[in-house]
Amino acid sequence: MYGWHLKILRVNLTTRNVTTENVDPKIARDYLGGRGWAIHYMYKDMDPTVEPLSPENMLIFATGPLTATPAPTGNRYMVVTKSPLTGALAHSNSGGEFPTWMKRTGFDMFIFEGKASEPVYVLVNEDQVEVRSAAHVWGKDVHETTDILKAEISEDARVACIGPAGENLALMAAIMNDKHRAAARSGVGAVMGSKNLKAVVAMGNKNPPLHDAEGMRSISVATSKNVGADVKKGSNMRIYGTSYVPQVTNTLGILPTRNFLQGTFEHVHNVDGDALKDNYLIRHTPCYRCPLSCGRLTEVPDGPYKGKGEGPEYETISSLGTGCGVSNLAALVKANYLCNEYGMDTITTGMTIAVAMEMYEKGYISEDVIGMPLKFGDHDAMIEMIKLMAYNKGFGQDLAQGSYRLAEKYGHPELAVTTRKQEFPGYDPRGSQGMGLLYATSNKGASHMEGDVAYEEVFGVPVKENPHSTEGKPELVKHFQDSFALIDSSGLCVFVAIRYVFDKNRMIWPETLASMMNLTTGAGYTPAEVMKAADRVYTLERMFLIKAGSGPEWDVLPDRMTKEPLPDGPAKGMVAELDKMLPEFYEKRGWDAKGYPTIEKLMELELPTG
Amino acid sequence: MLIRVKMIANYRDALPPGHKHGVIELDVPDGTTVYDAVSQFDIPLNDESVIVLNGLTVEMNTPLKEGDTVTAFSAIAGG
Ligand code: SF4
Repeated sequence: MYGWHLKILRVNLTTRNVTTENVDPKIARDYLGGRGWAIHYMYKDMDPTVEPLSPENMLIFATGPLTATPAPTGNRYMVVTKSPLTGALAHSNSGGEFPTWMKRTGFDMFIFEGKASEPVYVLVNEDQVEVRSAAHVWGKDVHETTDILKAEISEDARVACIGPAGENLALMAAIMNDKHRAAARSGVGAVMGSKNLKAVVAMGNKNPPLHDAEGMRSISVATSKNVGADVKKGSNMRIYGTSYVPQVTNTLGILPTRNFLQGTFEHVHNVDGDALKDNYLIRHTPCYRCPLSCGRLTEVPDGPYKGKGEGPEYETISSLGTGCGVSNLAALVKANYLCNEYGMDTITTGMTIAVAMEMYEKGYISEDVIGMPLKFGDHDAMIEMIKLMAYNKGFGQDLAQGSYRLAEKYGHPELAVTTRKQEFPGYDPRGSQGMGLLYATSNKGASHMEGDVAYEEVFGVPVKENPHSTEGKPELVKHFQDSFALIDSSGLCVFVAIRYVFDKNRMIWPETLASMMNLTTGAGYTPAEVMKAADRVYTLERMFLIKAGSGPEWDVLPDRMTKEPLPDGPAKGMVAELDKMLPEFYEKRGWDAKGYPTIEKLMELELPTG
Repeated sequence: MLIRVKMIANYRDALPPGHKHGVIELDVPDGTTVYDAVSQFDIPLNDESVIVLNGLTVEMNTPLKEGDTVTAFSAIAGG
């Protein structure tokens, strides 16, 4: 077998015992890599009921077969663990350079278990694996930590680490790599913090061997050329990254505004991609081997929000910006920098502050409790809240638990816009029905990255779908969930993959993704086989959720989505019609009427039936 | 009748100078359709574009009413 090293590194942080394991080639093939391999090992080796912040939880870093190959955007890894925010699965994807360097250590996957007795970091330099003291970087932010570790180890090393938020077990803590890239969602950084694991440092020269290097080179060049042609035409993703999207969602009336009280934001021009480009953009910054280069280095040159960093992306604008009613762009950019430096998911951070703002305005939480007024649009208060959350101080201790627990504690759970206790991303499902079904059934709680049917409902890619219609959405959501499971397992970035590995019939293009997998691994997949493997991954994750206590009873949307019609914009008067879609969705997935995978389905996918 | 055409992000380049945040107002005859409103600008009128009327998905031959807004943007994966 090629592409995969078929090697896993297992580090027990309690005993500091380091072991390596070979991966059975059949398991490698059946579970694809990345996210797929991770759930296979978690399901096999871990009790799904473990407490997420206990030493018993597994923290997995997993690359895919296409990571560190010539495939354009083959630069991703997944962080997989049991989420302390949701109690379901966390699987967060990130790019940059660290994942490629990680694969070049000669291991496809790192598994961290147990808990170190004091702060440590793990260095993996091919076969040299060391658990070292992190006393000197504990308490430092992501940028400082990265600089210090690179200076003392090597400029050739790449660093993934947590900031203060992860150390302080904030449930929105991210794992940051290469300073600016985030495996962001579901509190993966808190799991790392609970293990006293400050950083993972990777270096090495073991590129994965390719089954057909020449074939891989030519398909990669062809795909890059396609992307390049789009970039030449003036691709929005190159010019703006995702920051152009607020104008799109505002036009459709599905831009989360003031904790989803509205679907349009009157000051959207202040916080959109054009404002960002005209005021703060310095240059574009690609992940490794990416012809699209959607990242952007920005700088607020002076004033109270002075700073430099990457972003913000759409999801940050729709949470810390419009979600909180904030229209001061410099403050929003600063808030994004702070989240990156403290190591925090901007979506959960922003939408938790948004809930606190609504509770303050409605008189459910007093100024005394918060320590200051907290009105929608108060950007200085928002920045203050981020600091309190990261350092677990004062009212920040409540905020650091996420919006679900915050709203529940203060007696108004109906204000938390979550599924499986995770905050919604930037598409209001009242005006994009497929997204509602996606959020309700996602294995990681509300997330767009688990089958982003907004590509069709909002962006018209690869097929235009009416966002207000529920018709055909169950099948579409299933197809996208499986496709994203495949992309997450392959090691590619979805932004490029969705455009170049699907044909206009939404099918995996035999000439692209399935071919890339075969040229890399020699596994001889048919397109149908890779889709079946993706279904296997998705269904096994569902089995994990059921055993973890996050099963079908959590396939629900909050009342704000199903009972409070949108008050403004093109989707005015609409609610999310989950009931119309859920039964058909279960059927399409091969699950019974209650949402449990049937024995027949498990057998078809060759999954454990017990 | 007066209608508005709005272009988002890179499609703004297709508008004449002087637009406000990508929006211009046009005086068009009765019977003007969504297609008529956008076809005078240099943007692709195929599946490379998403074109909506007042934020809603409609047929391109839908006739416009006074005060309508037709918005166009490039169909591309984002967000
Ligand atoms: S499209 Fe953007 S996020 Fe994806 S690999 Fe390229 S630069 Fe990174």
